[in-house]
Amino acid sequence: MPLLERSDWYDIARDTNWTPDFVPREELFPSELSDPYDIPQAEWETFDEPYKVSYREYVKVQREKDSSAYSVKAALSRSKFHDGLDEGWASVLKLHYGAVALTEYQASQFQARMVRFGPSPSMRNMATYGMLDELRHAQLQLYFPHELLPRDRHYDWAHEAAHTNNWAILGGRHAMDDVMMCRDAITGAIMVSFAFETGLTNLQMVGLSTDATNMGDFTFANMITSIQSDEARHAQLGSPAIEIMIKNGRKAEAQQAVDVAFWRMWRLFAITVGIPMDYYIPLEQRHLSFKEFMHEWIIRQYDRQVRELGLETPWYWDLLKDDIENHHHCQQGGIWSWRPTVWWNPPGAVGPREREWLEEKYPGWNDSFGTYWDVITDNLLNDREEKTHPECIPIICNMCQIPISNRPGKLWKARVYQHEHEGRRYNFCTEPCRWIFTTDPERYKKHESIVDRMYSGEINPPTLDNVLTYMGIGVVSEGGHDGHDYRWIDGFRAQAAE
Amino acid sequence: MTDSSDFKPLKTWSHLAGQRRRPSEYEIVSTNLLWSTDKEVPWELAPGVHMNQWYLKYRDASPLKHSDWNAFRDPDEMVYRTYNIMQDGQETYVDGLLDEYNANDHDGGLNAAWIQQLAELYTPGRYLLHAAQMGSAYLVQMAPASTIVNCAMLQSADQLRWVSRIAYRTKELSLAAPEAGFVDGERGHWQGHAAWQGFRELMERTLVAYDWAEHFTALNLVAKPAIDEAFVRQLGSVARREGDGLLQQLMDAHQTDNARSRRWTKSLIGFALEIDGNKDVLGEWVTKWAPLGDAAIDAYCAALPNADSAASEAKGEVEAFRADLGLGR
Repeated sequence: MPLLERSDWYDIARDTNWTPDFVPREELFPSELSDPYDIPQAEWETFDEPYKVSYREYVKVQREKDSSAYSVKAALSRSKFHDGLDEGWASVLKLHYGAVALTEYQASQFQARMVRFGPSPSMRNMATYGMLDELRHAQLQLYFPHELLPRDRHYDWAHEAAHTNNWAILGGRHAMDDVMMCRDAITGAIMVSFAFETGLTNLQMVGLSTDATNMGDFTFANMITSIQSDEARHAQLGSPAIEIMIKNGRKAEAQQAVDVAFWRMWRLFAITVGIPMDYYIPLEQRHLSFKEFMHEWIIRQYDRQVRELGLETPWYWDLLKDDIENHHHCQQGGIWSWRPTVWWNPPGAVGPREREWLEEKYPGWNDSFGTYWDVITDNLLNDREEKTHPECIPIICNMCQIPISNRPGKLWKARVYQHEHEGRRYNFCTEPCRWIFTTDPERYKKHESIVDRMYSGEINPPTLDNVLTYMGIGVVSEGGHDGHDYRWIDGFRAQAAE
Repeated sequence: MTDSSDFKPLKTWSHLAGQRRRPSEYEIVSTNLLWSTDKEVPWELAPGVHMNQWYLKYRDASPLKHSDWNAFRDPDEMVYRTYNIMQDGQETYVDGLLDEYNANDHDGGLNAAWIQQLAELYTPGRYLLHAAQMGSAYLVQMAPASTIVNCAMLQSADQLRWVSRIAYRTKELSLAAPEAGFVDGERGHWQGHAAWQGFRELMERTLVAYDWAEHFTALNLVAKPAIDEAFVRQLGSVARREGDGLLQQLMDAHQTDNARSRRWTKSLIGFALEIDGNKDVLGEWVTKWAPLGDAAIDAYCAALPNADSAASEAKGEVEAFRADLGLGR
């Protein structure tokens, strides 16, 4: 008799639920950690993951994947790629590693929640691989930037960023702690595996890998592709959970979880993906605008997946499409202006040619976002660099923790969305961020944004130096400066000379 | 703020730069990775949120104390990459065992009485190991340092490895002995057979021991050693006497993972015992949990055929393990 196929025994390995007698089931699977929706255990036992793998296959395939990723790195580590590397791409790497490495690690703890508290044995087994995957992603994305430390102190943020109170990190942690670390196994599966991984990151990695290849960064491209192949597998944990929720009369709750998580992740995603695609990657190497990417890969595909599962298009879909035109352009302006507060060197990258491209991709860009950069350009052309550093403090959204902003120029759309709760006024950047607060005020109230902390006494006194120190600037490394030392204004000088 | 001249290029992460020797790959990718241990409120949401309260109560207020859990190191320095290399090799070996015994029609040569023992005392073990998989994953969520989390994570994965192999054997045995109740009978045995009720009580109670350090004590000092000694070692020995060379060799392969678990368990206990007061805390927990472990061993071993000394041997080994940690009774 030949050896058995995986399908011969797979179901036995996921037939592991039993009825506890020595402790109450509610104590073994507390609803706040497991399933708050009261869906019968028998229903959860129908959970069927589309992608199947055995432990034996897992360790073999992952060994091979690692062998490839690490050997490409080793082979290319003596190449001259990082000598004279464009600081725009270096900023992509610095931002990516700082935002991602430890987030992946906390994700392994989140997967462990599903391993322990998932009501379905299938989910528990699949999440065991998911947990290992996330360990892999954390370790790869620590090991690879570690090699770059002798080149640039900013790479220390790959490990340190998440331990700081940098404003960008507070935004990331608030969102990840909300959708990932402080959810029960089921809601977390919907929010992280479906809304975040299936909806955004899995597709983003495809794009990021293409960008890296265009840049000639084969080590990074290969690593991201390898990570994406894991993500494609464990992201499948979300959709069976949604199907079971819908079948058991919990469609509204599933819909809300998906919509909350997608919007929260979108607000971060636009910064970590949109700004690099439209500003940091040199013009010659851009393969798509962020808007094109969003419409091709996210708007169409995600919406289709949502509806195929039996959910509805999120209520804020038109607002999302509008945000695609604005949010990352605003934040590029904000981050560049506040460049001493970040751990990378954001290039302004809005010379004449880049502006032409932006106008083509985002008609009206010159009359709106362009007016902001006109002032900056004028100051730089006239040796008033100091005037390119703002002296005011932005208003921060009490949900996404990102400065509140919107389209400048004639179509001025900047406004703050406010909400009173228990005597405190909360400020939000958009209607969806305000809506998320109202879905669960107990969860979000009392949290202080970075600017709230300047007034509450946590950063005391709130001098510029103290604020920067609080954010890890001048502690982990120096802050950022213009990635191209303002060379992007040279084109305007040439135009003026003509 | 520090003067900019202080920011010279680094050879390693700033948090490891102070140590004299060059950090290993293990240290580079494994140390200080939790962001929830940095501040008083673990997660960046309202302090009253259930999960914040859970971590404050069951992790940060644990009676087992250490001022620097991050200083713990896995004695095996296992990282994801090396784990897969090692386990792929181990699994290749197990594939070889299964193939070889299969080619010799091993299952066709087993006597009916032994097949019945396998149906009652071996294949229901997937529930037992799955419970250990879940318990280990609780430690992954709750341990106060990434170097501890990682050990627990690989321990959880190891359990899934053997859950899978038991499932594999369950199917094979069902083909050789369709009437013996394989595949469909295990849950009934796990829930009702006298041999398993001690283990089931032990695991159910361990799974709800939510203080992270008590959970670690119950799982790694009591439950896992009891499983290793009674289910893995004693059943393996009986298998040898019954002419079931395959099960004996599978259990031997299983012990390789158990030995690694014990190495980090010993290191973590040694690390915790550096702190005054921890010995009493651990001692009290061992006193509380060990009787449940002994009862599980007694009930299970009593059902093993022709194995009168199995329970005393198993309990002796478990006790010796804890005595080696400085926590003998």
